[in-house]
Amino acid sequence: MTDHKRVNGAVKRLLVRESRLSIDPDTVPDDEPLDGELLRVNSLGFLGMLVRLEDELDVTLDDDIFAGRVFTTVADVVDAVLDAAKETT
Amino acid sequence: MTEPPRSWRSVLPHLGYELPADRTPDGTDGPVTVGLPLELVRQSVSSREYWPIPEPVAQLYRAWRPAPLWRARRFEAEVGATVPIYAKYEGGNISGSHKFTTALAQAYYYHRAGFRELVTGTGAGQWGSALAAACAAFGMACTVFMVGRSLRDKPYRGSLMRLYGAELHASPSPLTALGRATDERLDNSLAVAIGEAVEYARGDAKRAFCIGSGETYSILHQSLIGLESIDQLAGLGATVDTVVGCVGAGSNFGGVALPFFAAARAGELDVPAALVAAESSASPKLTRGVYAYDHTDATGSGPMEAMYTIGSRYPIPASHSAGLRFHGAAKLISAMRHHGQISATAVGQREALSAGRAFATTELVLPAPESGHALAAAARIASGREPGHTPRHGVLVCVSGHGLLDLPAYDKLLAGLPEDRPADPEALRAATAALPAVSSIEGF
Repeated sequence: MTDHKRVNGAVKRLLVRESRLSIDPDTVPDDEPLDGELLRVNSLGFLGMLVRLEDELDVTLDDDIFAGRVFTTVADVVDAVLDAAKETT
Repeated sequence: MTEPPRSWRSVLPHLGYELPADRTPDGTDGPVTVGLPLELVRQSVSSREYWPIPEPVAQLYRAWRPAPLWRARRFEAEVGATVPIYAKYEGGNISGSHKFTTALAQAYYYHRAGFRELVTGTGAGQWGSALAAACAAFGMACTVFMVGRSLRDKPYRGSLMRLYGAELHASPSPLTALGRATDERLDNSLAVAIGEAVEYARGDAKRAFCIGSGETYSILHQSLIGLESIDQLAGLGATVDTVVGCVGAGSNFGGVALPFFAAARAGELDVPAALVAAESSASPKLTRGVYAYDHTDATGSGPMEAMYTIGSRYPIPASHSAGLRFHGAAKLISAMRHHGQISATAVGQREALSAGRAFATTELVLPAPESGHALAAAARIASGREPGHTPRHGVLVCVSGHGLLDLPAYDKLLAGLPEDRPADPEALRAATAALPAVSSIEGF
């Protein structure tokens, strides 16, 4: 099941881990920049994170949703994952 | 054996450790983008062992795979071998080298991900030729930055790339800021060619930089070489206890050798094989380099990987013309070297080209100069001239490609090519001094 709440929670958990923070993921706003004052996510770490997200949500994310797309905020990632999950379920 | 294997085999589940994570260089953060198909990421990090080959790729493989393997009896006699030498030949495809095997897979995945142009850097031109042909096979555009000196030496490599529709630039080129900032005399650097490709690829969202040989997924695709060899040797009733491949970054060596490692760990081989990487003494990363985080290109903007390296800015001597230029070994190959799971030896260009010539005259196949390094190492090992190696059963050597587009290098041999001078210890120290050691960061 890939509802918004579950995807949002999983994405924030992994973004917090990727940024090496020890904060409650639920406190991260949806419009928080991926590479800003709080989160520190780069393109390289992001790729690994997407693969871990697949395991966590038990989905396969299709490449064509992600390739060449620019991600700025947490919400961008959540939306793309929901789009990709829709394609594969 | 009439059909190639249906799956690639990953060595990762058999290593006993995880590969060190890549690092993003300081000050190069930008927008978060996805420039690599997720399937290639999965293949690089997953503990899954077998990866089914997509049918469109498998169909193309059938044009030349399984690649031939034979006992090279006349070569054995020529080099004074005391055990059999088996040759696995990867030159029987349009690119003329093993690199076509991963190029097809990569082009397929990039195309499926929505990219429409692949950009790369190439040294001797084998990777550029392979990617150009693979892009053509999947209807993609291709742009190649080729080491300028190499392109002058091997103009027909350029012809082959153009024949397949690739746009070709001699590096350093005026097309990129890096090329414009690089002294024209530094025209023998693969790191600069790759750096130009990285920069150029950023200009369009449908364009992707494709690094080629050293990535873990490339080595996975090349596992076909070793998987086929294991079956073919079994078919001949032959056993080998040494496997030799040449190392630029490591996909050829990894491709032929690591399936033997996985099979031995899985208890499938009666005799485990020593795995020997043959590198160029002009670029001696595995034998004289340091295990450190280094850039894969000269812009310094790509990820830093844990690798045995002589430094991305180490100047390869202008006299070197036998390939295997890359400054670092793949992180998978480097980690296995660090853990004592493989060994390495360095070969000078005159010895490599002489071994290539000996193979050509005895086995009637002209090997690429790169393959000459592996043949020289195999000859030393099989004749008891390589310290620390005493094979009792046989030696398998991968002939990574043909040398028909590398004849200028053989011309130089015929004209009395001097041996590479050993890399200057002070220059090596200077090129690696500032690199962070892997062990100091990862506890690896």
